[in-house]
Amino acid sequence: MSEPVLSARGLKKSFPSGDSVLEVLRGVDLDVAAGESVSIRGESGSGKSTLLNLLAGLDAPDSGTVAWEGSTDTGAGRRAAYLGMVFQSFYLVPELDAEANVLLARRILGGLDRAARARARELLGQVGLGDRAHHLPSQLSGGERQRVALARALMNGPRLIVADEPTGNLDERTGNGVVELLLGLCASANTALVLVTHNAAHAAKARRSLFLQAGLLGAG
Amino acid sequence: MPWYLHLALRQLFPTGRWFPFFTVISALGVALGVTLLVIVMGVMGGFAYEIRHMITDTEGEVQVKARGWIAGYPEVVKRVESVAGVAAATPYAVDHVMIKFGDKAEYPMLRGIDLDSVERVTPLDKYVRVGSLSDLDDDSIILSQQLAAGLGARVGDTIEVYSPLIIEKLGADAVFLPRQVRVVGILEIGHQQLDSSTVYGTLRLAQDLYGLGTTVHGLNVRLEPGVNEDDAAARINAVLPADVRAFSWQDSFSDFLWVLNLERNMIFFLLLFIVIVAAFSVMSSLLISVVRKTREIGLLGALGGRPAHVAACFCAQGLFIGVLGTAAGLALGFTGLAFRNNLVLWVTRVTQREEVMRRYYQFSELPSHLSGATVALIAATAIVISTLAGLLPAWKAARMKPVEALRSE
Ligand SMILES: Nc1ncnc2c1ncn2[C@@H]1O[C@H](COP(=O)(O)OP(=O)(O)O)[C@@H](O)[C@H]1O
Ligand SMILES: [Mg+2]
Repeated sequence: MSEPVLSARGLKKSFPSGDSVLEVLRGVDLDVAAGESVSIRGESGSGKSTLLNLLAGLDAPDSGTVAWEGSTDTGAGRRAAYLGMVFQSFYLVPELDAEANVLLARRILGGLDRAARARARELLGQVGLGDRAHHLPSQLSGGERQRVALARALMNGPRLIVADEPTGNLDERTGNGVVELLLGLCASANTALVLVTHNAAHAAKARRSLFLQAGLLGAG
Repeated sequence: MPWYLHLALRQLFPTGRWFPFFTVISALGVALGVTLLVIVMGVMGGFAYEIRHMITDTEGEVQVKARGWIAGYPEVVKRVESVAGVAAATPYAVDHVMIKFGDKAEYPMLRGIDLDSVERVTPLDKYVRVGSLSDLDDDSIILSQQLAAGLGARVGDTIEVYSPLIIEKLGADAVFLPRQVRVVGILEIGHQQLDSSTVYGTLRLAQDLYGLGTTVHGLNVRLEPGVNEDDAAARINAVLPADVRAFSWQDSFSDFLWVLNLERNMIFFLLLFIVIVAAFSVMSSLLISVVRKTREIGLLGALGGRPAHVAACFCAQGLFIGVLGTAAGLALGFTGLAFRNNLVLWVTRVTQREEVMRRYYQFSELPSHLSGATVALIAATAIVISTLAGLLPAWKAARMKPVEALRSE
């Protein structure tokens, strides 16, 4: 079998908290194969976001390693092409319209061309916002914003998407739609997915469900 | 276009917003500073430019002066004119005199000029408002305008000129009568100091008044266009006897020009503070923007943006505001310069100060002269200062860690 898209070994992370130290992750191991979807559940404050940040290379673990397809280079330069991120509060740039927000991922990667613009349009169509390309985030509903964020995460054709409670700010129905869309798009693009969620039903839709507790990752 | 420039532009000019308040107000501060710099530097440059012309129009670009007198001046003129870059030279004699008309007296400088050669060096004729330089003979003079007004003398009047030799002759018990001369012209140079204290006569008249015989006080020299004055003075000096020296007009009037230059530099730096204050407001708005956009900055990191590029995004906003403000300021400034005389006229009319203005002002109109170098200096300084204002916000943005920025809900 080829290298896993994501491979984490012995991840430990603690934060100073007053005089003591808060051990958030105590040795997390995780392998995600190409195109595989993994859900992670856990109590609020159990360290899910902390883990995702380590997996995305945004933060460094106290010990342990993160490798993307076998390489421990998880720097900004590689991240732009390799990884897409989806957040609870969407994080769209308010001054940019939907299409420009999607294209921002490509601008940062470099190589914005006609084909890229066409792809952004196509992705917006796939998330059901084909006719909203020139609307600003402030003109879109929560669910629509999150769908723009999905399109942005997929823009550079990443091998892996990490989503941190993408439905946390959405109502039940809208959230279901977004998760369906996320899983569907990842499956059709053979993109691996790590989905952090509170919602058991959403978690169950992933191929593998995990649970983060006491700083360790276990089967859900 | 790199993403950080694109984003900087979009943050300054958000899509779908036709009036970007933050950008316009920030740029306005810079624009005001640049406007004032352009107008004030333009007018000050105008004074300097006019003064340069008044000096060279009345005294030539190079002045040749003797410690005492220059004897045999035709030979010296010939030598000076043989120097490369020299177009013409003309002799002069100048000293204080007293002139009387009726019961009014004035104490101007009377300058004796050689009618045959003076026009080739100093184009005085263009300043003669009434009469003509060619009407001048050994028994007539041309008065400057304010002097004539002060005396109440007009063309055709006869006035008395008292030589400074009168005092000398008094000791020798001789009688030295004042010279009766006719006024044949009125001259207006446009500079208050010159217009209130200059009289022109022939060289012969001046030589008589000052007891010079056939000697003169010095030569005024006109150079060919584009010849450097200091270089020409050095070349002329090489052919002159040791007690006769040539000076460029910049050298001859260096004290005066130094003060003028100092004034200009001081005003420039004082007005620059308007731009600096504007830059502080740009900086504080950008700092607020960095704080407000903390989570976006985190997002840019998550999308693979490098800290240096995130910094560039904010620095570029300072740059763009600077460019915008400078462009607007230049436009406003040049417009102001174009209408400067209307403005001054309006102000003096409203305040009823027209007469005072004319009396105490050195020039009858507000001159303006802006060299390309000055415009470039103003623009470059304003843009650099605004860009520097983006530096601190940029540094703050670059220092933000994406994880922490994203957590800051
Ligand atoms: N930078 C930090 N400094 C201090 N404590 C932190 C920091 N980041 C996270 N924590 C703490 O670590 C724990 C896990 O946080 P987080 O990963 O955000 O939890 P979750 O996403 O599972 O709700 C929380 O108790 C949080 O307060
Ligand atoms: Mg979280």
